[in-house]
Amino acid sequence: MVPATSELDRVFAALADPTRRAILARLATGEATVNELVAPFELSQPTISKHLKVLERAGLVSRGRDAQFRPVRLNAAPLEGAARWIGDYRRCWEESLDQLAVYVKELQQQQKEKTHESKRKRK
Amino acid sequence: MRANENENEPAAAREVVITRVFDAPARLLFEAYSKPEHVKRWFGPKGWPITLCEIDFRVGGRFRFGMTGPDGNPETPFGGEYLEIVPNRKIVYDNAFELPGAEKMIVTVTYTEKDGGTILTIHTLFASVAMKNEHVGGGYVQGTNEILDQLAELLPSLRAGASAEGAS
Repeated sequence: MVPATSELDRVFAALADPTRRAILARLATGEATVNELVAPFELSQPTISKHLKVLERAGLVSRGRDAQFRPVRLNAAPLEGAARWIGDYRRCWEESLDQLAVYVKELQQQQKEKTHESKRKRK
Repeated sequence: MRANENENEPAAAREVVITRVFDAPARLLFEAYSKPEHVKRWFGPKGWPITLCEIDFRVGGRFRFGMTGPDGNPETPFGGEYLEIVPNRKIVYDNAFELPGAEKMIVTVTYTEKDGGTILTIHTLFASVAMKNEHVGGGYVQGTNEILDQLAELLPSLRAGASAEGAS
């Protein structure tokens, strides 16, 4: 088990399990009570509850306040971070290279000033 | 011994190549990659500053980078070893997240001076097709599991992120 050091780690750890992905897929169609979530899976309620705790800790689901039913809802926000991170290798580099282009201009400017300076000193 | 020699998966299926032409000498671009004070100024996607940056720039030396995300939390650091360094021409290093069992990618950065500018090429060889997909969104494109399909509907931004790979 990977230690969860950040929200992103917790999100990926939560998504690593097929049952939890299936729960999220179900919740993407609308909120559900724990009992409604237990029904389609051949798993015990404690097992489903354990999965829900992992999803909750990752911020992927929230529980309603209605003491009797406490419907479970999907939170898409943490998934956006995961989505940005995943599949973005190329874009990360492109953004880095945009920043490198700006920074290298700055370095060139500094070097120009330095050579200018040393020329003046030699005079 | 090389982790990136998977007999069943040809290298061509595991690589990503990114190229950019700069109006600057190779010497400067090489320098920008070799010292923490420079790397911190440009490396990483926008909004994810490098807050951990250790570089021992020599063959056999190691580097460690860590970003801080928009949420203010430090992300899992990543790093590796410099495998080859040719001043102003080429840097080869391996790179992996500091997580148990994380696979390594091998990155080759080359600097080619041409017409007063420099062609910078970043060639990444992933350990496996699965690892490449994880990093470049192939998992979304193939719709290998339903939650990601659901996400694609929830998050239009996903489609943009998972632009068709393999055009290179």
